[in-house]
Amino acid sequence: METRQGNVAVEMTVNGEPMVGIAEPRTLLSDFLRHGLGMTGTHVGCEQGVCGACTVLIDGQPARSCLTFAVQAEGCRVDTVEGMAEGGALSDVQEAFRAEHGLQCGFCTPGFLAATEALLAENPDPTDDEIRDYLSGNICRCTGYQGIIAAVRRAAQTRKAASA
Amino acid sequence: MTIEDTRPRSARYVGRSVQRVEDPRLLSGQGRYVDDITLPGMLHAAFVRSPHARARILNIDASDALALDGVVAVYTAADLAWLNPMVATGPMRDGILAHSRTPLATDVVRHVGDPVAVVLARSPYLAEDGRDLVDVEYEPLEPVLDPLAALEPDSPLVDEALGTNNISHLEESAGDVERAFAEADHVTRLRFHSGRSTAAPIECRGVVAKYEDRAGGRYTIWASTQMPHLLRMFVAPVLGVPEGRVTISSPDVGGAFGLKCTVFPEDVVIPAVAKLSGRPVKWIEDRWENLAAGVHSKDMICTMEIAAKADGTMTAFRGHFVTDSGAFSSIPFTPLVDSQCAGIYLTSCYDVRDVAYSVDNPLTNKCQIGAVRGVGWVPGQLAREVAIDQLARELGKDPVELRLQNMIGPDVYTTAFGQTYDGGSYAEALEKARDAVDYASFRERQAKAREEGRYIGVGFSPFVEPTGWATASAAAGGLPNGYYDTASVTVEPDGSVTVTTGLHSHGQGHETTLAQVTADELGVPMESVRVVFGDTDSSVFGMGTYASRSAVLGFGSIRESAGQVRDRLLRLAAILLEADPGDVELVDGVAGVKGVPGKTVPLQQIALFGYFGGTARPEDVQRDALTATSGYSPGETYANGCAAAVVEVDVETGLVEVEQLVAVEDCGVQLNPTIVKGQVAGAIANGIGVALLEDLVYEDNGEFVSGSLLHYLYPSTTEVPELDLLTIETPSAVSVGGVKGVGEAGTISAPAAIVNAIADALSPFGVVIDRTPVTPEYLRRKLRDAERTREAS
Ligand code: FES
Ligand code: FES
Repeated sequence: METRQGNVAVEMTVNGEPMVGIAEPRTLLSDFLRHGLGMTGTHVGCEQGVCGACTVLIDGQPARSCLTFAVQAEGCRVDTVEGMAEGGALSDVQEAFRAEHGLQCGFCTPGFLAATEALLAENPDPTDDEIRDYLSGNICRCTGYQGIIAAVRRAAQTRKAASA
Repeated sequence: MTIEDTRPRSARYVGRSVQRVEDPRLLSGQGRYVDDITLPGMLHAAFVRSPHARARILNIDASDALALDGVVAVYTAADLAWLNPMVATGPMRDGILAHSRTPLATDVVRHVGDPVAVVLARSPYLAEDGRDLVDVEYEPLEPVLDPLAALEPDSPLVDEALGTNNISHLEESAGDVERAFAEADHVTRLRFHSGRSTAAPIECRGVVAKYEDRAGGRYTIWASTQMPHLLRMFVAPVLGVPEGRVTISSPDVGGAFGLKCTVFPEDVVIPAVAKLSGRPVKWIEDRWENLAAGVHSKDMICTMEIAAKADGTMTAFRGHFVTDSGAFSSIPFTPLVDSQCAGIYLTSCYDVRDVAYSVDNPLTNKCQIGAVRGVGWVPGQLAREVAIDQLARELGKDPVELRLQNMIGPDVYTTAFGQTYDGGSYAEALEKARDAVDYASFRERQAKAREEGRYIGVGFSPFVEPTGWATASAAAGGLPNGYYDTASVTVEPDGSVTVTTGLHSHGQGHETTLAQVTADELGVPMESVRVVFGDTDSSVFGMGTYASRSAVLGFGSIRESAGQVRDRLLRLAAILLEADPGDVELVDGVAGVKGVPGKTVPLQQIALFGYFGGTARPEDVQRDALTATSGYSPGETYANGCAAAVVEVDVETGLVEVEQLVAVEDCGVQLNPTIVKGQVAGAIANGIGVALLEDLVYEDNGEFVSGSLLHYLYPSTTEVPELDLLTIETPSAVSVGGVKGVGEAGTISAPAAIVNAIADALSPFGVVIDRTPVTPEYLRRKLRDAERTREAS
């Protein structure tokens, strides 16, 4: 559907809920989520596709929402940080980040959480090198990555233990 | 101020790695950063910025922009002529010039990114469309780009009004430096260029402002800042209103690292155009703006000389530090935050009594230099520690032994320039780092590797870091302004506790550590404490958070105010328990009588009695209830430690791999060891960037070419190895609780350790490393040059 100004209605399932919003064809998915739908958990750190802060899952795949137009996610399943905690309880990955001090200012964190979910879905038992490799597209200026790597390791272990 | 308090109190939280209070909020996407703020009717701003290093503005034509549907207004300097100038004074003394600027450029633009006009529109996209349509006609002028040439009398001037480019020249000496150099057996000289880097927090800057035309006009400003009260203090006079008519609120801040303790033109322009347009306005900096027009840091040409005896005793240091200061003197800290900090702490942990330094701060047509994590300590540390390794090589001494031979003892020590260290593990930290890299067997390993054509090296970098920035330490550091902080502690009628502070948290976890401190002081569970900060309306006045100051200032100010409230609680409890106040103890929110089990009263009941107990209450409680506000300005505190790096250099590609990085940190008593480790790790990662990657580059014509994170490289998971983080705890001899503070240490120490390790690895080639970042192309050039020299000889 196209409106008078060339705006379009975009529908997608965000964290399991069907959502619809109005976007320009050029509206970035990051802006659509943050300002169109008011879901400000996804952060924008560069809009240059480098920092990874804006990472969300589109149909389960990690994607930089600053390099994706909202219209490209039309009809897709989009998962953001707001959908991770269940019933107010932090998810295993979130808990692991807390336990290992994997965040300081928290600005890069939603992107890291999304990337971690994607990594663990692909590779439930990653080595440290695999973790480092997979997360090298997300940058954090606060932590020096020590807590982040440890958190991913812990999350993998927790998940393994839970499924055993 | 000293606080004598000998009452027994068991620290239950301080020193423990309790989990962070702020994490659940931040982990679930409920952080509230400046770009998350939306106000009804809000417009969005985009800045038109100079593409030139230096040019005259001939004409600004905004008609095409204004014709665009959705663009509401375009303002230039002419529309903001009612603002007062922004003035950077720095410490007022001879040799330092105040520098003033208008928030938007008037006739001349002075660096790429200098703001010229601001476009307001209904959406950020439309504001950017409008920005691209503003037509500015420039006449390019010859830019001033070389800081040394800028000091020459015939140089063009960055700001004609000043009559010079050099905004500050300082000299200081102690002892008899001339004689020490004349009598030295050996003198080593090094010229080192510390590169241009910046903070680049993942969250860029941002300002949201609204103006209400009531009560004579009120501004409410949300800003991504480290120092809400100081920002208010600097912004209000530019806007021409008393501070009482400005509220600054700093919501969650996505990293700052010193960048956000600067007062920027946008901090003034956005509230000003909110007033002009009659609508709230939001501006969110983009990454190009952050890199081109925030603050830059550490770009310094250092000349370091060491006089030594043949036995390795260092007798004198002499340094000259020229900061490539950029086009404006940054507010409030000015580029002296780099050059002077490099000079005045020159002796660091070495017992050298003859010492001299001089600094110059030439303006150039680049982005301004401001405070960024580690400030001028980083170039100063690089210059000194790289020169010490050079001295050791020239004298045929072991660099670790030579350092230990010259090191100060662990006790309170006053430097030649009069800084009084509060005791530390200076030698012990170096020894610990040495052992952690297995130095004893390293040389053997190195020799073996060389036989295989592999070049590994080790480098050390012991440091002293002024922390707990307060009146005394600032004076000792050559910045004689008052720095202190206050905290207000209230036990509410239901026994819960509210603490307000003017300190600010942007990743440090104050909601946790300051709650730990408060809970211990009051004897209540930590969960009952809420720490409030970041809003000039709800927090007591404070200086904000930078310079690794908050652990010291927070602990001291809270301990004093909480102590007063605790004292009242004990006296109230004594009345309720019909006991002597001296026999009452408050543990976990329950007051009891020592030695009388079962005789207790919960805090809720005490608090309620404190508020509504009529004349049965002590007189001071009838007057002050359960709130106490108190300030703290500690004596000088200094953290210390040592970084050690093991690297491997690929001589074919010039690539440096950091194999091991050890950080020994002594920040005194730790409030929360996990948080301390996090601070050190983050700072070390930043130091790796400074040493090897981060470089803000200007072309020969002044064009800026590092405007994205693709060009401004910065450490990711693959550049930061698993770190060896070790601690020593030497309690401060002067601060409350023995706390010293942490935050910048790793950034100060790591670069010199890495550079020394590279030089050590390449010692067979006779390569002198004389700059950061040590990039592959730089190393290849050095290796090629060395080869050519060898062939020629
Ligand atoms: S904001 Fe998308 S990668 Fe940085
Ligand atoms: S926690 Fe601040 S950028 Fe990662």
